This record gives sequence, structure tokens and C-alpha cells, in this order.
Amino acid sequence: MFSVSRDFAPPFKLISPFFILGSFFYLASVLYIFFIPAENITMLDTKIFGFVHLFLLGFVMMTIFGAMAQLVPVVLEVGHFGVELFYAIWPLLAIGTLMMTVGFVSYPMLLPFGGVVVLISIMIFILEIFLTIKKVKTLNLAMKSMLLSNTFLFFGVIFGFLMSLGYSGLIEVDINTLLRSHVFLVVVGYVVVTIMGLSVVLLPMFGLSHGFSQKPLQNALIMMGVSILLVLLSSFFKITFFEYAGYILAVAGLFMYFYFVQTIYKTRARKEIDIYAKSLIFSYFSLVASLLMGIGYMVLGFEPLLLSSGWMMFFGFFAFAVTGHVYKIIPFLVWFERFSPLVGKQKVPMLADMLPQKSSSAQFVFCAIGVVVVAVAILLQNDALIKGGASFLLMGSIAFVRSVFYMINYK
Amino acid sequence: MYSKDELLLAISTVIDPEVGFNLVEMGLIYDAACNDEGDAHIIMTLSTKACPMHQLIQQWVKEAVQKMANIKSVEIELVWEPVWNITMAQEHVKKALSGN
Repeated sequence: MFSVSRDFAPPFKLISPFFILGSFFYLASVLYIFFIPAENITMLDTKIFGFVHLFLLGFVMMTIFGAMAQLVPVVLEVGHFGVELFYAIWPLLAIGTLMMTVGFVSYPMLLPFGGVVVLISIMIFILEIFLTIKKVKTLNLAMKSMLLSNTFLFFGVIFGFLMSLGYSGLIEVDINTLLRSHVFLVVVGYVVVTIMGLSVVLLPMFGLSHGFSQKPLQNALIMMGVSILLVLLSSFFKITFFEYAGYILAVAGLFMYFYFVQTIYKTRARKEIDIYAKSLIFSYFSLVASLLMGIGYMVLGFEPLLLSSGWMMFFGFFAFAVTGHVYKIIPFLVWFERFSPLVGKQKVPMLADMLPQKSSSAQFVFCAIGVVVVAVAILLQNDALIKGGASFLLMGSIAFVRSVFYMINYK
Repeated sequence: MYSKDELLLAISTVIDPEVGFNLVEMGLIYDAACNDEGDAHIIMTLSTKACPMHQLIQQWVKEAVQKMANIKSVEIELVWEPVWNITMAQEHVKKALSGN
């Protein structure tokens, strides 16, 4: 005898706030773009810092953390250590994100307070993940990547907190040294490595792919890990060779990852190009575009190339990878909560029936156009074009919020 | 008491909500047998080890067989060898999934 446990599907009321808030933060990030004049766009502008934190913490991390409440047991094949801890994560992360954004825009004294709140939220998350990983007897590739990415996040957040103290003037720190390490640890070490590691489970699961080798992903993860260590060492010991070796290794690792994704795509049995597949295809081509522009920047030193590369990485690769998975995760959780008890008793919907066809398509089309237009606008440093692209993104992000509510309220 | 085909017919009421096909046409049921005392034994797999519905799906299979008259017990054996792949699915499933 066995009973159905909730180990593999936490209560939806626990996870839904992450997705709802995440979608609103996505919308807020898009609105923020309208208030960034093109001439203000430099890598070290505090308005850009505010924008990046609003988008990364509020949308990307918020949605990833919510998804992890569902995905950790799926990937680790054990139940959570304490899934209830997720009730504390989203309010703290939301409040901390808002405080930090306001801090960057106009009140630097808010930064350390917002930083503490974010730090607590993320530390609760990391602690829960580590204690869950501890329950696993043998680690597979996906589990190792989760351990690696959360270790990077741990150090990345601490560096970020130290920087928030430095920005507000409470302590004296070398911001430039910490900044590079913070960015690389959180963005590459956590977000990118998490997406890479989860791919080996999620892409074959949804595409019904079999018979592909995991070796390219393993190599890509090793390259990413070494690249992050090299960039950290270069930051603290001022060794320029390590810095460039780190960048080159990261780019090579991401191309290797792209090759791995392509092998999964080729071996998939399920050929249907639904909103999930479309989102991921756009996401991965954005990754390649971002890498090519990054290489262009290393060769030419033209800063708009770096900014446009970052834009494609954030709003192209990250955003579409996240939104694509939202269209899989929310319907599953809602279905599990509302319809699984009715199986065998009455007709229940398929997961695909729970997708909002029109608003998901609108989100995809408007956001894809917006991402490309803004990327070009950044290269041309054209303010009107940036606002034009942001208008498309605004339409798309409203459609995304609508899609999230449609799926959550599906009855 | 029941032949393999009769058991499969009962299990074919269980549909994977992600792909929309039943487990039998997906080729996920490797064997099914039932002795004269009404003890059924089902050997099955899933399309991926990471399937978040693995407990639910096993329960649905069990309930589908239990609905048959005079069944006393149902044992589900979940195996990972041989690893499932699309060639194990029925032709119409392969065609539908590949978009042909």
C-alpha cells in the first residue's frame, strides 16, 4: 500500500504568491524602463542598479524560488526539509526588493535595511535547500548543480549585502572589487547555473527526450564553476589574465550548454511547439545573441554592446526561460490541487486546456518584439526606440499578469 | 481470473494529463497479470523518474484495477528497466506527438 503524499506538490496557496508577485514585478520592471533616459544608460548608474534589482530579485528570483518549492522534490527525489519556510520567503523578498529599488533610485540609506531583509529571505531559502539536499543519498548531475548554484548564491548575497552597507556609507568597502564578484556569483553562479542544471530534468520531461548524453552539460557546468572562481580571484588579487580567462570560459561553457540543449531538442518525441517550447526557443536564441554581443564587446570595447548583451541575457534568456516554465508549473499545481481528486469520478481537464491561449500568445509576441527592439535601441542609443520597445514589453507583461491570474483561477 | 488484455483495458482509463494519452497506449504498462484468487500484479514505468505525478499515477492504476469485479488486491511494481522511450508507444501516439 502507498498513499499519495504532498511531497512532490506543495500546497498551491504556498506557491501562488511567488508567481503573482513575480508577474507584477515583471510588469513593474517594464514600467521602470520608461523612466530611464537613453543618455543615462551606463553600467554603473544607480538607476540601472535599481532596475536590475527590481527585475532580478522581484521577478526572476521570486519566480525561481516559487518554482523551486515545486521543483526541488522533483529534481532531488526527496521531500522538502521544511516547505513551510517558503511562507516567510516571499514577503521578505518582496519588501526587501522594493526597499532596495527605492534605495538605489533616491534614498541610499534604505539600501542596508532592504539588503538585510533580502539577505534574510535568501538565507532562509538557501538553508532550506541545503537541508533538503542533505537528505539525498547519491547526488546526480542536477542535484550537484543545485548544490553548486546555491553555494554561489550564498556568497553572492553576502557580497551584495556588504555593498549595500558601503553604498549607504555605513562601512568602507571597495565597491568595484565586490561588484564584479557579486554580479558573477548571483547572475552567472546562481541564475544561469540553476537554469542549466534544471534543464537536464525539465527539458527531457516535457519534450519526452531520451538517449542524449549528459556529458556536454557536465562539461559546461565545470566550465561555469571554474570561470566564476577565476573572476572571483581576479577581483580580489587584481589578476587581469584570470578575469579574461574567466569571461572566455563562461562564454565557452554557455555555448557548450546551448549544444546540450540542442541535443535534447533533436531527441524529443514531442514535436508540438506550444507556448512552453516557443518561450524556450526564444530564450536560447537570446542567450546566443547575448554571448555574441559579449564577445563583440571584448573585441571592440564598445559599451552599448555590453549593455545590449546584458539586456538580451536578462529580458531575453532569463525572462523567457522563466515565463515558459510558469506556463507548465502553474497549471500542474492548480490541476493537482483542484482536479486530481476528481480523476475517475468526473471528466477533468488536461493541463494544456488550462493555458490561456490568447494572452499567452500575446505575451510571447509582444515581449519578443519588445526585447529585440530595445536591444537594437540600446546599440543605437536611441531613446525613442527604447520607449517604443518598452511599449511592446508593457503590452506583453500585462498579458503575462493576465495569464498568471487565468491559470490560478481556472475552475 | 482476468487476462492481460482485460487488465490493460481497465488501466487504459488512466490518462496522463500532461500528454493526454492513456498509460497503455503510451506503452508505460510493461505487464499485467491476475491469479484465480483475484490478486493482480502490474509492472509499469513512467516516462521520467522526475515525474511529479508518479504517486498519483500509480494510485490511479491501482484504483482502475480495483474497480474490476472480484479483485482482492493490486500490487504495482514500478520499474526503470527497460527505460521507457517513445518507440514503446502505440503508432497513433507517436504520430500525434510528432505532429504527423
